[in-house]
Amino acid sequence: MGWTRLIRRQTLLGYALILPSMAFFFIFYIYPVVYSFYLSFFTWDMLKPKQFIALRNYQELLGTEEFREVLGNTLTYSLGVVGLAMGFGLFLALLLNNRTKLSSLFQACIFTSYIVSWVAVSLLWIWMLDPQYGLVNYLGSFLGMSPVDWLGNHSLALWTLVGVTVWKVIGYPMIIFLAGLQSISQDYYEAASLDGAGAWHRFRYITWPLLTPTTVFLFITLTIATFQGFDIVNIMTQGGPVHATSIYVFYIYEQAFHYFRIGRASAAVMICFGLILALTYAQHRVFRRKVHYTQVG
Amino acid sequence: MKTRTLLRCALATAVAVALAGPAWAGEPITATFWYSYGGKVRQVTEEMVKKFNGSQTKYRIDGSFQGDYFQALAKIRAAITTKTAPAIFHVIGEAMPDLWQGGMFENLEPYVKSTGVKSEDFVQALSQHGYFDYYGKSVPLFAIPFNRSMPVMYYNKDLLDAKGVKVPTSWDELRDAATKLTVREGNEVKTWGFEVPVDWWFWHGLLYQAGGSLLSADGKQAGFRQKGGEALQYWVDMVNKHKIMKRPGGKDYNAWEVTNTDFINQKAAMIFTSTAFVNYLTENVKFKMGTAFLPKKEKFAAPTGGTFFVMIKDATPAQKEAGWAFIKWMSEPSQAVYWSQNTGYICTNEPAIAGAEMQKFYKENPNYRVAYEQLKYAQRMPFTPALIRIQREVIQPNLEAPVIGLKTVDETMAAAEKAANDILAGK
Repeated sequence: MGWTRLIRRQTLLGYALILPSMAFFFIFYIYPVVYSFYLSFFTWDMLKPKQFIALRNYQELLGTEEFREVLGNTLTYSLGVVGLAMGFGLFLALLLNNRTKLSSLFQACIFTSYIVSWVAVSLLWIWMLDPQYGLVNYLGSFLGMSPVDWLGNHSLALWTLVGVTVWKVIGYPMIIFLAGLQSISQDYYEAASLDGAGAWHRFRYITWPLLTPTTVFLFITLTIATFQGFDIVNIMTQGGPVHATSIYVFYIYEQAFHYFRIGRASAAVMICFGLILALTYAQHRVFRRKVHYTQVG
Repeated sequence: MKTRTLLRCALATAVAVALAGPAWAGEPITATFWYSYGGKVRQVTEEMVKKFNGSQTKYRIDGSFQGDYFQALAKIRAAITTKTAPAIFHVIGEAMPDLWQGGMFENLEPYVKSTGVKSEDFVQALSQHGYFDYYGKSVPLFAIPFNRSMPVMYYNKDLLDAKGVKVPTSWDELRDAATKLTVREGNEVKTWGFEVPVDWWFWHGLLYQAGGSLLSADGKQAGFRQKGGEALQYWVDMVNKHKIMKRPGGKDYNAWEVTNTDFINQKAAMIFTSTAFVNYLTENVKFKMGTAFLPKKEKFAAPTGGTFFVMIKDATPAQKEAGWAFIKWMSEPSQAVYWSQNTGYICTNEPAIAGAEMQKFYKENPNYRVAYEQLKYAQRMPFTPALIRIQREVIQPNLEAPVIGLKTVDETMAAAEKAANDILAGK
């Protein structure tokens, strides 16, 4: 068999083998995004024929107070969850960074909430946070607290959701940080202790810089994940009270399936896509120079 | 040779059977029915579908549960786009004008005529022509009443008697009664005098009780700003100024559940909710319960609610035939009576209500009768495609803000009026 024929056959074989995955990817990822882009220039309620309205969906979105509120809520929710989850996750990782059985037990317990379904967690916490019948207020009454309407108070509701989210996801940054901690060679710590460095110095000058790849990874993935938050809002507050907990993906769902404004929802999807793209790029550029990778050998 | 002939005969018979189809083999014509309730009502619905299927062999209805009314509305649109819609569906009255204009529904007049259904047997206020104000337009019959209801006031008779409070019949009396019935222990409220979901349906009742109306007399402009504001202010004051009304948390039907639960647990002495819960509440309360008209301001008034049967135009003629048979059967007196007695929805068949069985039932269960008697104060909804948007986008989401103190009633009503007019103008 000639050389070029062999190459061509192998190339064709290669494409044939990835065809199923590519087909899946195109049908369920690329096509919907492109179709959404197309729909964002129309007004459509899934019943009557589509009406072309050019950029009016975008203008209406960017002009409404509610949309700006949604963006603000999403940012607050995201930064709140990322900051608290990473902070407490790192703290737990430092605490549990040893090989005792007790540590393993704690790690497993903390991680279980991460793998349980969002729906189950949301339903559980709705009852725990109920102002009249809930466990949280009941325990709070022993500390002299008067009952708090965690999910019904306009200023408090979003932070309540942040709290529930951090409770649920904290296992994830904890595990990732543990992996990061364990990849730091003990030699550095030995050398530092010999030189007389205390615990804080060891953390500030060895642990923290060498954790930067982990930190950046977690920051980016957690931010993107929180931008996609939906279940918790849909089950616990449905965006209320009065849009206090309406975050981006829920807003899109509401526009599409409660109000049947498919065009406007698609425009919101496009704006979200653009924002996450910009955010990811910005994070990448900001952290590129700050990430320290250990030299091997 | 013999084997080949035998095979040919077998093949021919198989083809003949396949071509003759279901009729020859005795297969019933099937149609799908999408329904949307939970709890007791769902049970009764499923019972009745089974009963219908068991009562005859020509048709079979496959029931399919779809979540709540609004989830079902989303699903039906998706289903129509993908041509997988059911033949029978039931839909809230407010959504019907928009869906009718979108071409979703089958015109039911030919079916009514050809099967000899008497439209005058339906309770007029519950029927399609009694529900809408058509503003002079001519609209054909496309919906048959199914589970129709009215909001009523439920009260805890034991709590009222203990404090010597009379059942309120006006806004002022309700406020006074709720004040007497609210019990506080330190910072905590043990019992709320009054609770109602801050919902379009009850607001609509209050709007008309105050002497207002949703749209102007010609149906072209929003007309609810002033009286709707009075209605909202009444709630705002009861929650924030007098602190005698609890605002149940959660959106849409989640708030309704909270209200019912609080009433059952005696955390609320008086509530407004649908007559549809009278059976559920009767079975679950451990105290004497009464029902009454919604209190008046200038007059007694209340909207009707619940849903109508509709048939999807895109279904096949056979499916529509089966669907109509089911709808007709459900509207017959014995089914209408069974349905009403087991759920609390208002019986839709006038002769049945006048009959001995229902009269005896009402005598033994007076709480079921109140909604039917309140029908004389039923308010019509405007027949405009804008209606569902006015409910879902303009009124419903904005009622909460003044009640929790984020906006003033004036601001809210002014913005709502503008938004409603935009929608009516077709923007």
